[in-house]
Amino acid sequence: MADLRPILLVEDNPRDLELTLAALAKCQLANEIVVARDGAEALDYLYRRGQHAARPPGDPAVVLLDLKLPKVDGLQVLEKVKTDSEQRQIPVVMLTSSREERDLLRSYELGVNAFVVKPVDFNAFFEAIQDLGMFWAILNEPPPGGRANA
Amino acid sequence: MADHVSEATIEATIETCASEPIRIPGAIQPYGALMVLDPQTLSCLQRSRNFAMIVGVEPDSMTPEFQQLRAEISRWRLGDAAQLLTRANMPGRLLHVTGHRSPQGLVIELEPPPATSPDFSLDGFYPRLRGFLERIRSAPDLAAIAQAAVADMRAITGFNRILLYAFDHDGHGTVIAEDNDGVLPSYQGLRFPASDIPPQARDLYRLNRIRLIGDSNYTPCPIDPPYSPVDGQPLDLSFASLRSVSPIHLEYMRNMGTGSSMSVSLVVDGELWGLISGHRREPWHVHPQTRAACESLGQILSLQIEAYLRAERSSERLALKGVESQLLAAMAASDKDFEEALIHSSDLLMALTRAEGAAIVTHEDIRRAGTTPPRDAIMRIAADLFARQQETFATDSLSETWPDAAEYADRASGMLAISISQIRPDYLFWFRPEVVRTVNWSGDPTKPMSAGKERLHPRQSFALWKEQVHQRCLPWTDVERDSATGFRSSIQNMILRGAEEKAELTDRLERANKELEAFSYSISHDLRAPFRHIVGFAELLSDREKSLDAKSQHYLRTISEAAHAAGRLVDDLLNFSQLGRASLRIKPVDMNALVLSVRRLLEPELAGRDVTWRIDDLPQANGDAVMITQVFQNLLQNAIKFTATRTRAEISITAEDDGDRIAYTVADNGVGFEMDYSDKLFGVFQRLHSAEEFPGTGIGLALVKRIVMRHGGTISGRGAPDAGAAFTFSLPRRPITRDAGPPHG
Repeated sequence: MADLRPILLVEDNPRDLELTLAALAKCQLANEIVVARDGAEALDYLYRRGQHAARPPGDPAVVLLDLKLPKVDGLQVLEKVKTDSEQRQIPVVMLTSSREERDLLRSYELGVNAFVVKPVDFNAFFEAIQDLGMFWAILNEPPPGGRANA
Repeated sequence: MADHVSEATIEATIETCASEPIRIPGAIQPYGALMVLDPQTLSCLQRSRNFAMIVGVEPDSMTPEFQQLRAEISRWRLGDAAQLLTRANMPGRLLHVTGHRSPQGLVIELEPPPATSPDFSLDGFYPRLRGFLERIRSAPDLAAIAQAAVADMRAITGFNRILLYAFDHDGHGTVIAEDNDGVLPSYQGLRFPASDIPPQARDLYRLNRIRLIGDSNYTPCPIDPPYSPVDGQPLDLSFASLRSVSPIHLEYMRNMGTGSSMSVSLVVDGELWGLISGHRREPWHVHPQTRAACESLGQILSLQIEAYLRAERSSERLALKGVESQLLAAMAASDKDFEEALIHSSDLLMALTRAEGAAIVTHEDIRRAGTTPPRDAIMRIAADLFARQQETFATDSLSETWPDAAEYADRASGMLAISISQIRPDYLFWFRPEVVRTVNWSGDPTKPMSAGKERLHPRQSFALWKEQVHQRCLPWTDVERDSATGFRSSIQNMILRGAEEKAELTDRLERANKELEAFSYSISHDLRAPFRHIVGFAELLSDREKSLDAKSQHYLRTISEAAHAAGRLVDDLLNFSQLGRASLRIKPVDMNALVLSVRRLLEPELAGRDVTWRIDDLPQANGDAVMITQVFQNLLQNAIKFTATRTRAEISITAEDDGDRIAYTVADNGVGFEMDYSDKLFGVFQRLHSAEEFPGTGIGLALVKRIVMRHGGTISGRGAPDAGAAFTFSLPRRPITRDAGPPHG
């Protein structure tokens, strides 16, 4: 049963954004893709405030979160989400250019659901995005009692 | 240190004598008389029993002559002069009068001029003194100075024999000069044990520099009352020339065959350096003025000896300082660590203390030069010294402290040691070989004084007693010891400076490393992205424009491939730099399983290839599994890559275990390489083949080497053009995790 809640893509780099969107488009997902260009905007969306105050209620099916972001960076967004009992169950996938071990360790400490190093190889990148999109948007059932089902 | 003579014997002898109350004998020698006057009233407090006999009147006499003396005493006591020196014309006799102040009153001694001694006038003394000064000034060495002194002393005193003793560190006296008319035996060159002069006598000799015993058979004349009315104590006669001496000393004199004696102290740098001692077979009373002249002569001689020794020491010191400067300069110029630099300049090091061997113990390691004890013996000595917290140690007989040192006495009997670390048993040693010497004792010093029924008796024999001294080196002089301790502070400064420089360097490296880390972190994010974008968009374009002609498709592919390669290069570089920082997780690693997994990973690269594998049963290693996986991945990848031109590739993995380390070898029958370039194999971006022939970033082997080094292992490559290559890396059984980057380690 497809979960038609939106996918929140948080990415500041326009080229990465375009490539990621192209990859997601290939999956032909029915989910709406919401784009936030920095960490602050992502939090606004998640907490329905600021420019996203008027959005319909409900959590995204998955957050695809870039690590390096202006204003509030990816790790801070992750921390905020995973330490909030209301938000904690939202799956967060970290997307990053970095192969830095410390970023990886920190993400797992904060409770990231998956961590993907964006490969240089376009096809690999494509496959990774598709897999992620499929898994989290389609296959991954939200936990029972999640707000989407409420 | 004492020569072979047992320390214990001497100690025992000295102790028995040391209890003699020589300053307060309660009596005087009878050749003069003594009285103690109240400094305020000049009334008599104490007197010698012979007073009336010597002076003709009692001390409270009101005769005009005595009143005149009392007036003179009164003038002296109100003045500044330390000593009273005058004459008293008493009826029928002329007396020499001396006086000194004491807490118990004014001590006045009166002495008739000796009948036996010629009257010696000051007029005659001065020309003699000038002559003496002239002689000692032109004397070439200490022996000549001493010889001039004894000759003059005998001429003015009329003794049969004058000896000049010099004391060594342990108080043994050696006769270094003698003038003798032949009546008494010669003692030239003989050595007298320290026990001949007990310590309290030495102390007194330092303060009161002349004493005369006119007759070794005299009967002491008591002082009345025996206890001072001032403090209730016996009268202190330390500074009285008439002081009665110990009966042991008188017996000693009689045993020596002397009827009279006089000795003058030689005090150099505040220490009793020696004695000039005159003897006559018969009783002999030296005129008070002659005694004063002898005392002056002794003082002049003391100053001359002091000047001579100082000059000698300072020229010696200067010479050794020169050696030290040369040594320090050599060390400063050396790029080796200081232990190596020292041993490299071992000639200078040994010259520093005039030693014939040297050793440096640092970090439980030892370096030796010249003639030294065996390695283990030195290590033991270092440990002992450290346990005793000895910072410096000097001995001319190692076997005295370390009995087993007797075995190598010919190589090292003496040792000087200085500690060069507060926290470790690190020492610098100098050694000197044994020098067998003969010491001519005056009498057998190992025979203690005999304790008779009533009291002690001094030794009877003064005959020559030869002793062979073994297991001893030439003693270390003060200057040599000082040279060693001076060098110690130079070395400590050097070590300290080295540590400071090291700390500063570490600091700089740490800063540089932090910058590098930040740099590589930002590269990992920012440099990878553009390549990803190029590849991504080129692919998107080629997907979208199916209509592109072949040439355009080729261009797009080239763009994509180039960006792809550049991206991999960045990844490899980052991986390489991370390796220096990541901490090792050392665990036992199943190498067979690890190699199997790497082979699976590389399977895609084997498509269409005919590869024969020969893989030994590989022993387990201790290391970081993730990193060792990278080692095998790179080595196997290379083996696969460089055998690509072979119709049948052969790749083997073998291992050898020598107990300490396990060596793993990956060999192939590929294109190999020229050994001439083998030093370039493991450098970053070093390639021995063109990228066209064999693609690659040129980082793989650098990475492999870095991993192996971090495990404390080694790596090497063997090869020949077109004849295959073999890479062997060894891992220690117990890896010493060595941080690769200087930074965090």
